[in-house]
Amino acid sequence: MSRKKTEQEYRKTFAFRFFRWLNAEEDRYLDKVEMHPQEPYVETEEDIRRRQREKNALLNKLYGRKKSKSVRYLELFYKGACIVFCGILIYLLLLTVSYLPPIGVADRPVNNEVSRRYIEEGLDETGAVNIVSGMILDYRAFDTLGESHVLFVATVTVLILLRADHKKKERSSAGEEMAYSLEEAEINDRNYEPKNDAILQMAACILVPIIIIFGIYVILNGHLGPGGGFSGGAIIGAGLILYLNAFGFQKTQRFFTEKTYKWVSFGSLSFYCIAKSYSFYTGANHLENIIPKGTPGAILSSGLILPLNIAVGLVVACTMYAFYVMFRKGGF
Amino acid sequence: MAEWVCFIVGTLFLLTGLVIFAIELYGAYRYDYVLNRMHMAAFGDTFGIGVSLLGLMIINGFHFSTLKMALIIIFLWCASPVSSHLIARLEAATNENLETHMEVEKK
Repeated sequence: MSRKKTEQEYRKTFAFRFFRWLNAEEDRYLDKVEMHPQEPYVETEEDIRRRQREKNALLNKLYGRKKSKSVRYLELFYKGACIVFCGILIYLLLLTVSYLPPIGVADRPVNNEVSRRYIEEGLDETGAVNIVSGMILDYRAFDTLGESHVLFVATVTVLILLRADHKKKERSSAGEEMAYSLEEAEINDRNYEPKNDAILQMAACILVPIIIIFGIYVILNGHLGPGGGFSGGAIIGAGLILYLNAFGFQKTQRFFTEKTYKWVSFGSLSFYCIAKSYSFYTGANHLENIIPKGTPGAILSSGLILPLNIAVGLVVACTMYAFYVMFRKGGF
Repeated sequence: MAEWVCFIVGTLFLLTGLVIFAIELYGAYRYDYVLNRMHMAAFGDTFGIGVSLLGLMIINGFHFSTLKMALIIIFLWCASPVSSHLIARLEAATNENLETHMEVEKK
């Protein structure tokens, strides 16, 4: 049977003090240490000035804002080295220029068998009257494939960087057409721009069909004359952008959405890949190419060049339009 | 003889166009306010290019490229005033101190 201590005795034991400390029931410093309530922090002008002076001194020491001697020497050396380096570069380039063959001499290294072959046999081998088209879409079709893919990758990158995802609002009632309230539209007015402009719409009505027809003409005549997929696609893209500017996103969304872009680009690029793979495969294995060359000068001639021009033109037009849309609104 | 007349008339038109372009350039840098500068630029874009291409058409004679030049003139006359109109509209919509530059009709 344990002996029960009285309260006073228990207060003197170690256990009491330990549990009191453990439960934080006692403030050991209360009434034992001199204490003042904290004064509100008031900064005098002198304090502010001193603080700024110290900060400036620290920054000067860290970043050399007030330049020390060694830094000044380093800068002088840097400038001198720049001048010397540029001088050496200019000298080397001019030296190289002096070794270049003069312009207009027949036996320049540029006039080698490659360009002679292009000029003399290009029409027979590719069937394209326009030698440049024959070059970029037949002899060097792989290079053009890379360029088209560069355009596609650039669009994807812009999409990653600039895409603004609008939250899809739940349309509570069927009659509610506007997904955004007026205040939101005020803040985010790019959803509604441009404001309908009658003059611009009239001009666009006249010009857009002409521009797009001209672009199609340039693409389809790429193997017959100056033009081709890149320039024609740029013209069509410009026409689409004009249409968008005049009539707004709601009109263009009826025929050109993200899905359209995706499938048109994918279809064109994969068609290019497959068509050119076929022609490379048959060419490398000395098989007979079943694609007819046609008579040079006719619109349906020169084998694969016309469809490839169309594919490249579609990619370029879609890329231009997608760039514009992405920079303007951040989504289709 | 007729070729010479064509050439001289065409050259006169072309020189007129050049003078108009010079006036346009001077005006675009002479004025400060955007509407004045826009007016000068539109002046060169329509009148200057029209007169210059008319001169070229007269020199060139009746040819397929003449038709193309006429199409360029029509295209520019459709496109350039519209773009000027859009710039003017943007300026009128965004500038708050429009009264300092011109008289504004109150609606």
